[in-house]
Amino acid sequence: MNRTVLIVGFIMTAALVGVLYFALGKDPQAIDSPLVGHAAPDFTLKAVGTGQSLNLAQYRGKPVVLNFWATWCRPCWEEHPVLTETSQAMGDRVQFVGVVFQDDERKITDFLQQRGWAYPTLVDDRGKTAIAYGVGGVPETFFLNKNGTIVAKYTGPMSGDILQEYIQKAMR
Amino acid sequence: MQLGNLATPATWQPMTASLGRILILASLLVSTVGAILAYAAGAKKSLDGLKWARRFAFAFAGCMALATFVMEYALLTHDFTVSYVAQVGSRSVPTWVTIVSLWSSLEGSILFWGFVLGIYIAGATWLTRNEHVEYMAYAIGTWLVCGTFFGFLIAGPASPFGTVAQPPADGPGPNPLLQNHLLMIIHPPFLYLGYVGMTIPFGFATAALLRGRLGLTFLKPLRNALLLPWIFLTIAIMLGGWWAYEVLGWGGYWAWDPVENASLLPWLTATAALHSAIVMERRGVLKGWTVTLVQASFLLTILGTFMTRSGVFNSVHSFTQSSIGPTILVFLAFILVASIVLLAMRIDSLEAEGRIDGALSREAMFLFNNLIFVLITFTVLIGTCFPLIVEAIKGKQMSVGRPYFDSMVVPAGAALIFLLGIGPALPWGRANKQQAIRSLVPPLIGAVIVAAIGFAVGARNGWTLATLAFGGYAAWVTLAEMWRPVAQRMKNGESILNATSQAQWKRGRRRFGSYVIHAGAVIVIISIAVSSTMRTSHEATLHKGETATIKGYTLRFLGTDVRNEVNRVATVARFTLIKDGREITTLEPRMNQYTMMREPIGTPAVHTTLGGDVYVSIMNIDASSETVGVLMIYTPMVGWIWYAVLLMGLGGVIALIPVRRVYAVSPEPIVVDAESATAS
Amino acid sequence: MRKLIPILLFALAIAMAASAQLKAPDAEQFVGPPEGLPVTGDQLDQREHEIASMLRCPVCQGLSIADSPAEMAINMKGQVRELLSRGYTQEQILSYFEHSYGQFVLLKPKFRGVNSLVWTLPILALIAGALLVIVKLNKLQDDVAPPAAKDEDEYIARVRDLVNK
Repeated sequence: MNRTVLIVGFIMTAALVGVLYFALGKDPQAIDSPLVGHAAPDFTLKAVGTGQSLNLAQYRGKPVVLNFWATWCRPCWEEHPVLTETSQAMGDRVQFVGVVFQDDERKITDFLQQRGWAYPTLVDDRGKTAIAYGVGGVPETFFLNKNGTIVAKYTGPMSGDILQEYIQKAMR
Repeated sequence: MQLGNLATPATWQPMTASLGRILILASLLVSTVGAILAYAAGAKKSLDGLKWARRFAFAFAGCMALATFVMEYALLTHDFTVSYVAQVGSRSVPTWVTIVSLWSSLEGSILFWGFVLGIYIAGATWLTRNEHVEYMAYAIGTWLVCGTFFGFLIAGPASPFGTVAQPPADGPGPNPLLQNHLLMIIHPPFLYLGYVGMTIPFGFATAALLRGRLGLTFLKPLRNALLLPWIFLTIAIMLGGWWAYEVLGWGGYWAWDPVENASLLPWLTATAALHSAIVMERRGVLKGWTVTLVQASFLLTILGTFMTRSGVFNSVHSFTQSSIGPTILVFLAFILVASIVLLAMRIDSLEAEGRIDGALSREAMFLFNNLIFVLITFTVLIGTCFPLIVEAIKGKQMSVGRPYFDSMVVPAGAALIFLLGIGPALPWGRANKQQAIRSLVPPLIGAVIVAAIGFAVGARNGWTLATLAFGGYAAWVTLAEMWRPVAQRMKNGESILNATSQAQWKRGRRRFGSYVIHAGAVIVIISIAVSSTMRTSHEATLHKGETATIKGYTLRFLGTDVRNEVNRVATVARFTLIKDGREITTLEPRMNQYTMMREPIGTPAVHTTLGGDVYVSIMNIDASSETVGVLMIYTPMVGWIWYAVLLMGLGGVIALIPVRRVYAVSPEPIVVDAESATAS
Repeated sequence: MRKLIPILLFALAIAMAASAQLKAPDAEQFVGPPEGLPVTGDQLDQREHEIASMLRCPVCQGLSIADSPAEMAINMKGQVRELLSRGYTQEQILSYFEHSYGQFVLLKPKFRGVNSLVWTLPILALIAGALLVIVKLNKLQDDVAPPAAKDEDEYIARVRDLVNK
């Protein structure tokens, strides 16, 4: 019995199978955001419609739902009514803010006028805000607590239940 | 029996799925019983048992083939009661797409694996029907164990023969990316012929271990069983790169994607094994090591199929996540442990029958060749799995991408092409200093010439110039070695025509074929180096009539065109390519909007010349304003890669064609393999 | 007319204040001021491509932002270009993206902590392998060749007999 072959072989097998076993069931696409637990990067952007400059820090004191989206993104169309309704229901306790990037202001205005305009929607400057937040695609939503710290991030369109669940996290 | 009742399509159709399931279960049963029988026959050294094992092997192949024909029939008749057809079938796709949709999605591709495995097992069993009886029972047993695993997968977790209770009127068709190019027809079959083929030498190697010996006459079937799938795998890997290049739009052919790496790993160990087998044949040493490499090549195919189908890796090629991952992992673990235990128990009984005479010898260079191949295998494996390791230990995600693999593999590749030069230059056995100098110095001229040419056309990258120098050296050596037996014969008075045909075709086919492979490899390595480091790219936004230039070529945008095709709407951007004031050709890259997909998929347009490719890809297009955002890339020598790999495949085929000579020096003819008697 | 000027000045002040306030998050907040010299022209194109090849497109499967046609990749390339032209070093630019996307976005693993293993293990394997080959070479040269008569192959044995007859 060749001991070397046995030991080296078993170590390599155990390592390989162990790593692969651990990886099963994990979604390779689900990437954790490194910003969770840190202060949300501040920004001042122009709001669509009013043309006002809105600053994120002005919303301190209330939890914030920060949703990145675009009119050319199909899943965002499905998510929009969920956000609009929840914002109308909870607007006094939670501030909703939308940030659109890589889009046309006229298209955004039309979209919102047709489908509901319940909270400020800001236009990003060449995607810089999206990059600072580590946004890969749309829709992605960040949940800030009243102190301006990011407590959670959700990638993809949210259903009403998921939105509620994450808002609860932000309210704690 | 009243046939009238059964004649209506509605009652026949559910039977297709059932028929398929029955055939798969039959093949599973046959392979399980056959495997047990074969191992028992091997242990008892029973010739009768071996005969039965052969019958079971053929039966397995037959059942798998029938099941595959049933599936193709169902696909072609758009029988949506069969679950796989409902998944990938469609009435609105061309017929060739329907045929190849057999391997377009997970369940069908595993059925295809079983089909190819059946063919290989039947072929290997038939070709060895009169020989090597001491080994064959064990080999067949091992093959049928693999057959059992895949039969189980097809019968259970990955069944394509489910019955659809309410069949839809039409299906979604296969993934549109797989309908974009004709290479879809040949890349997967070649890949499976390569991958699955590794099972056969694995069976032979396992048989040798179980028997506790590896005689030199058994080396021939082992080596041929390794060479055939190697040829397919080499070409398949190249076809994958070519397909990506022509279809994906970023202008490259290799991204070190996990699934790409999965196809490369067994190729690396198989190439190492082929070389180590040569040392084994010449000197009778390195038996255990060769067997280990053969085992590894098969094990890596199982790992590779896990990587592709488990959904664990982030890849463009991944099939969707499914429950098949855990099953493959269990089989992988089992076969790994079994192989290691068997190796540990028997490797020492594979006795060395010779020795090596010197460190400055061709044999020694083979050892270094093996070292580098194994090192590349290890590095690619570690790099691919490393993000998983880090996530397991620290819970954080990180990436290991192209920059890592390039910086690791480029030096290794340079070392390989260096060995490709000095290895064949050195003589077999111990070389004295004079001999060494006589062999090693002249090719330096080749090195200088090729490096100088490269420098003259603009190569400045250090690794590229080193690769060119080593490549020039290796090219000189390869051509010199091809010429040597011809020259020897001519010295003995033969005409050049006769000498060439005798030396390269009639007697020295294996040797000649090997050098053809080497010649192809030199061209491939040089082309990869040049095409990666000397490409130029340029982006532009053009309105109708405007032009952009790259490397002496001018591209004029003629306008857009919208074409409605069977399963997609293609927005085409029409360009003329102009060089030196002359219009050479029209290029029509497109953006395809498939009816079933949300996002459009682009197809680039490529103009290939001897010196390089002009590659045009659409970044964005607006038909109404006739504006296009275009990416142009000039990649020198990239077309050489595809054809040089085909040359390698051709060399392999030449080496594979058997040479038989019958010496009649006694009443009984004795068959001797002419190759082993040929001095080279 | 005289009343108009203060109104105009007031409007100008408001306009300036409003536009001056527009501020998207900037790299300076996360990696500090630029530590290198601004890059321009051809060198800018080249450096942009180099650094873009080291950043992973967050929405694609393994492509770098240099190769990806996705919107986000193009945005990120634009940011790389802007930062280069302002004088940020490669270190700083990569750190900036790492800050918001995590290590996932770096295609070339950083030589730090556990990650350093992916660089060191292959080197160790090379050294170990080279040693093994040298040892094996020596061993193979020392082995005495067993006598040729030990031949399991009957065919070759018979041929040898016949030839030697």
